[in-house]
Amino acid sequence: MRTLIYGFQTALKSIWHEKWINLLTVLSVSIGLLILSSFVTVTLNVDSALKRWAKGFGMVVYLDGDLTAKAENDLKNLFRQDPDIIEVKYISKEQAVRELRRTLGENASILDELDENPLPSSFELRLKRDLLKPAVVKKKAEQIRQLKGVAEVQYGEKWLSSLNTLSTILKTSAVFLGCAILVAIVFITYNTIKIFFYRRKDEIETLKLLGATRTFIRLPFLMEGLFIGIAGGLISAAALFGIHSVISLKGVEILPSIRTLLVAPPVQAYIAIIIAGAAMSLAGSFIAVGRIRY
Amino acid sequence: MIQFSGVSKYYDGDPVLNDISFTIEKGELAYITGPSGAGKTTLLKLIYCAERPDSGQIVVAGWDVGKLKQGTIPFLRRNVGIVFQDFRLLFNKTVFDNIALALRIHDMQPREIKETVNNVLKDIRLKHKEHVFPQHLSGGEQQRIVIARAMVSRPTVLLADEPTGNLDMDTSRNIMGLFREINARGTTVLIATHNNALFHGTGRRVLYLHNRHIEKEAVG
Repeated sequence: MRTLIYGFQTALKSIWHEKWINLLTVLSVSIGLLILSSFVTVTLNVDSALKRWAKGFGMVVYLDGDLTAKAENDLKNLFRQDPDIIEVKYISKEQAVRELRRTLGENASILDELDENPLPSSFELRLKRDLLKPAVVKKKAEQIRQLKGVAEVQYGEKWLSSLNTLSTILKTSAVFLGCAILVAIVFITYNTIKIFFYRRKDEIETLKLLGATRTFIRLPFLMEGLFIGIAGGLISAAALFGIHSVISLKGVEILPSIRTLLVAPPVQAYIAIIIAGAAMSLAGSFIAVGRIRY
Repeated sequence: MIQFSGVSKYYDGDPVLNDISFTIEKGELAYITGPSGAGKTTLLKLIYCAERPDSGQIVVAGWDVGKLKQGTIPFLRRNVGIVFQDFRLLFNKTVFDNIALALRIHDMQPREIKETVNNVLKDIRLKHKEHVFPQHLSGGEQQRIVIARAMVSRPTVLLADEPTGNLDMDTSRNIMGLFREINARGTTVLIATHNNALFHGTGRRVLYLHNRHIEKEAVG
């Protein structure tokens, strides 16, 4: 315990004594963490927006023209019982024509030339949000296509695929950027602590000759690294909170539509930033101090 | 207390110490002498495990030094006070803190540290310099601080490497007086010096190191 207190006091003295280089390191760590947390927040917001848009995603099941009302009803019941489908809407042939007339507008008169209604009746199905992956939707469409009375199944295959690709790219980029920045933080702290270690080389040699254990020698350096990481994390978390607050307040005035899209980073995210800063800086310090040989 | 049995040490294949054997008894004050480069410092380094013997056995206060693991070396050194030729004082710490450091390493209570360091400072007659930084002290005063730091944790063995190397005769006499006082309290003391005047007429055992081995033993 007394060794811990000595390490704490020595680390605080060193932080004060080497305040400029420590300040620079803290700022570098906080900038790294801010870039990372900002990117993660943007990814979180984009992903959330994509999920909202995907909420309206569904597929249209076109039925055979000669299907009886009972057969149509059986299909409707089958879809309603399917746990993957959250909404089933029946569009009769007549409704389909009415829709088409509305779409054609002035040109709707061309439909009068037809002897009979060529449009099939159909079902509009909305799938569960967590099923909206290209491979899963494709498999579901195939299953429905095999049902008796189903003529064709259509869904926005390309749109869904693009959406999914965009989300994957963002998440992968966040992981790569995250790893790169975390490694950079380790390296930044490593450099600073290594400089301190070399500056105090004579003192360390004396400590070793006086019988100091490795823990006694290492502890002040590890604590200094830990303080740097925590300070960097705190500054970064505060900056992220500030930036998000400004965008929430001022950004909404300029672009009111973003109000519904903005997702605030959860409290856990702020804690994670501080923990990441502390852990990476501690790792950097640990590597910098290295193996102490007597 | 210190036992060398057939100890040899080589640097890059060249022998520095060859087949050294001697024993320093508990509570003894002995000198080791020889010309510069005779291997006196290496011999002391072997005792506090800054160097390892290439052959032979060294036992210090019951520890088989050659077989010590890295993690155990600090605990041997807590039993061996060292007065370095180059002092090794920390110039960013006051006199008090330089001495207290040895006790902090021993995980002593702050209150106890204060009391012990104050007593030691009185013993070496430097209580009035406790808040001074070492660079503002004379060579003799710095050497007294080094001895105080080596002794404050009450080690069983005290090693001194050329303790009066840069000091005038009067100061040297004072320093040697301190070693005698420390020895009188029961600490085993081994002093390495090339200065014959330090041991002449003391009646203490002197080991003569020459041509890489103990050439003779005599009474000073």
